Amino acid sequence: MFKNYLKVAYRSLVRHKGFSFLNIVGLALGLTACLLIGLFVFDELQYDKSVPEGNQVYRVYTEYTKNEALEAFAVVPPMFATTLKQEFPEVEQTTRILMNSSISLLEVGEKKIYLENGLIADSTFFDVFPLPFKYGSAKEALAGTRSIVLAEDAAKTLFGGQDPVGRELKVSKTTFIVKGVLRNSLSKFHLKINYVLPLAAAEIPAERMKSWGWQQFYTYVKLKPGTDAQQTQAKLQDYIVQKVRNLDKKDPITFVPFLQRLTDIHLHSASFKYDLAVRGNITYVKALSLIAAFVLLIACFNFVNLATAKSMQRAKEVGIRKTIGASQQQLMLQFLIETVLLTFVSVLVAAVLTSLVLPTLNEFTGKDMSFNLLAQPVILLLLVILTVVVGLMAGFYPALVLSGFQPIKVLKRSVASDGMFGRVQWLRHGLIVVQFSLSIFLIVSAIVVFLQVDYLHNKDLGFNREQIMFFPMRGENMKKSYESFKSELLQTPGVASASIGYGFPGDAVAGDQIQVPTKGEQKLYSVTHLMVDYDYLQTLGLQLLVGRNFSKELTTDKDHAFIINQTAAQELGFGTPEQALGQTLVWNVTADSVKKGQVIGVVKDFHYKSLYDRVEPAVLHINPADYWKVAVKLKGENLGSAISGVKEVWRKFSPDYPIEYKFLDDNFTQMYQAEDKLKSLLWVFTAVAVFVGCLGLFGLATYAAERRKKEIGIRKVLGANTSTIVALLSKEFLKLVLVAALIAFPVAWVVMRKWLEDFAYRINFPLWVFLAAGLAAVAVAFLTISYQAIKAATTNPIQNLRAE
Amino acid sequence: MIKIENLEKVYRTEEVETKALNKVSLTVNEGEFVAIMGPSGCGKSTLLNIIGLLDEPDGGSLKFAGTEIAHYTERKRADLRKRNLGFVFQSFNLIDELTVVENVELPLIYLGVSAAERKEKVDKVLEKMQIMHRRNHFPQQLSGGQQQRVAVARAVINSPRLILADEPTGNLDSSNGNEVMELLTELNEAGTTIIMVTHSEHDARYAHRVIRLLDGEVVMENVHKQFTA
Repeated sequence: MFKNYLKVAYRSLVRHKGFSFLNIVGLALGLTACLLIGLFVFDELQYDKSVPEGNQVYRVYTEYTKNEALEAFAVVPPMFATTLKQEFPEVEQTTRILMNSSISLLEVGEKKIYLENGLIADSTFFDVFPLPFKYGSAKEALAGTRSIVLAEDAAKTLFGGQDPVGRELKVSKTTFIVKGVLRNSLSKFHLKINYVLPLAAAEIPAERMKSWGWQQFYTYVKLKPGTDAQQTQAKLQDYIVQKVRNLDKKDPITFVPFLQRLTDIHLHSASFKYDLAVRGNITYVKALSLIAAFVLLIACFNFVNLATAKSMQRAKEVGIRKTIGASQQQLMLQFLIETVLLTFVSVLVAAVLTSLVLPTLNEFTGKDMSFNLLAQPVILLLLVILTVVVGLMAGFYPALVLSGFQPIKVLKRSVASDGMFGRVQWLRHGLIVVQFSLSIFLIVSAIVVFLQVDYLHNKDLGFNREQIMFFPMRGENMKKSYESFKSELLQTPGVASASIGYGFPGDAVAGDQIQVPTKGEQKLYSVTHLMVDYDYLQTLGLQLLVGRNFSKELTTDKDHAFIINQTAAQELGFGTPEQALGQTLVWNVTADSVKKGQVIGVVKDFHYKSLYDRVEPAVLHINPADYWKVAVKLKGENLGSAISGVKEVWRKFSPDYPIEYKFLDDNFTQMYQAEDKLKSLLWVFTAVAVFVGCLGLFGLATYAAERRKKEIGIRKVLGANTSTIVALLSKEFLKLVLVAALIAFPVAWVVMRKWLEDFAYRINFPLWVFLAAGLAAVAVAFLTISYQAIKAATTNPIQNLRAE
Repeated sequence: MIKIENLEKVYRTEEVETKALNKVSLTVNEGEFVAIMGPSGCGKSTLLNIIGLLDEPDGGSLKFAGTEIAHYTERKRADLRKRNLGFVFQSFNLIDELTVVENVELPLIYLGVSAAERKEKVDKVLEKMQIMHRRNHFPQQLSGGQQQRVAVARAVINSPRLILADEPTGNLDSSNGNEVMELLTELNEAGTTIIMVTHSEHDARYAHRVIRLLDGEVVMENVHKQFTA
């Protein structure tokens, strides 16, 4: 019996080639989208799942309320770890990583490379994260002040394939001894590691490590098995309130600490400041999952639509089978087997497509996902389940309808009974509306994301970011003689101007307080400090609103002058830029030295951070002690020779270090990588969804034209012309698309506004997007239908009438 | 074998009520060959469909081998059909996706007969219908007469006690039509009861008895041949 079902199912697929093709292509595309997104989501969810006893590990983070907005910091003061270890009996171990964004030079003999992702961590690091070692062992791996543990790839680059344990290595000119090499299994660990140094090597004064205010450490705590983390968190919060909050009466602690599950770090830290973790974004993961479901749903609806539309053709077969004695259950089984078979073919096609597209997706997402049926039996099982589930989901209703036909009715009239047909038509129309609602929703979202991303990249940032070469100074000599380094740079052909400082747009900036002395009392404000030189404004092309730039001629400018931005003029309480001029500011450089001076100029606001963040009050001043980074503005022509000129000057001042530069605008491009990717993915999946929906519509239009053949013939005999017939056939479907648009618009409006709210700087929701999306949907639908409509309208009417 | 008493069937549209059958009573004996005749719309096909359990009566009684079956559930009807009834239609009603052999063996599949037994039975009946040489062809590849022979083969494969034929020669030329009528006669002589709806006086002469319907009522019965049970 089963064999017979399969045989009939196979023949039916082959016989109705067009129908099968539409269904298989639609389902296969939908399934491919699902599989790809599924792989991506699965991969995102794997982070830190394989850390042994990782379920006992938590990260400590803090939350602040600032200007009524909540801010979460991934870094906490050093005393957290100390206190947790000493005063919380349920804590098994803690470990800290020093926040340190610099890239260091590693040297083995003559080999020199710059490596980022070097961690400076407590020696307990491998107790909390028992990562597998390839050479050496975790025990004592970070003991003393001169140990280093390398990642496998870094070890290979530096030492070739050999076991480097016991060998020497210089990091930023200090010698370390290799104690171990980590195995290459860290791809799903939330920290990127090239090497690990002991915190002791940083030689931080013991006094500093007792700070409750110095937020510089990523802190992890491993709780004893069976501990209730919620309770520990509450205890910790209580401890802060009771014992820490008012240690410094003038500057009370305002943060609240929290414990974050290790496995939550990757996906649930998107809004954290100063995070080191490799972060995904749970919102995007959820959005993608939703889109996958949409596309699959659209494909399934296609099937239901096409199958019920085609039921007239199968009706006779059903009638005969029933007359012969088939029961409804047997017929349902037959039709379900047919659907499952069709789904099976689609799944095969989808599996092939997935493995073809996966390398591209891997490259795009920077992941290393694999899709191998033989090596991953889980995937095979998943595909089987997918086949059955999708097959049943898509096939159940058509099977129910088909198997429910009354034999005499269908055998006599060769068409499904009118009542049944009407009911099914309702359903079909409903499904089309749902399909198009989803498609239109996706179209609107894709356009909005596109516009916002375009805005992010092209918004006037208030400074000129083009052709600015950007690098940190290296080596004592260069830092000491930065003035002559700069003047030689300026003499290099192709260099327009240069600035040395700390706090360039797109790079790290320092935050500290500033005092505004008003009527005897000192008011404290938290502002961004940009440590600049005389050429900062010119190099970045900042616009001075009032006042003047720093001047070398005026010796007081070095120690007694500030330039502030527009926002600072307002938030520090001066009012207009003009009113800010001449006001006094005081900065506590250290505990016992202050810098006091006047505001000499106000610059127009410029975006020194990403557009996610509102521009904060910024204070610019000359402060050579903090000089670190160099920005060199190149002239438009002949960049290549200008760059090699800069390199030559570098070699003169810092022969020991290779230069390592980038362009300032790249910093900004990188900020929006996640949005760029979202944009591309959204376009692709929107296209797939719309295409799959159109396949179904095409099929339905075909059957509608078929069904109304006689009507069209009669109308033509009575004098209707082609365009009236096309309009007649198209109207029915276009109406549905319009209904779909009305449903999709408000939903898209709400969802996309919510998304836009994450950006401090964003486009106004453009209402023309709705018009565009609606027109696009109507146009696509009309193109899809019109082929069938025109074909039906231009057929000789006698042919259709004679066939009756 | 079939005993019908006061059978009624009414078709209703929103405004009009049409009595397709009006208190029809008749009896068909085991082994008999009965023809039902009458003009279009007289209710003869409705009667055949009700006897074949493809349609339900609105009143009266329908007994098959002494059992009341007028209001059987869908499941019981399907069961009775596949065990006891065979159908032959004017338009053949073969399944286009299936070959000759597959069409013919379909009733056996629904009866759950094993593959080996099916093959034996199908071969035998195809032999008898002289259609063996086209056993692996699809219906569209056959002539009308051949298609109807396949349909008859399918109708008799499960050795039904009753064959219901709805204008079996309606789509055939006279020589193919005669062939089919000969086949039905042979089956009847071998013991199968046959009820046939027809327009053709010529075909009706093959039957023992002709029942004439007009406007849903039995108006006349003619006996052609003596029937002895």
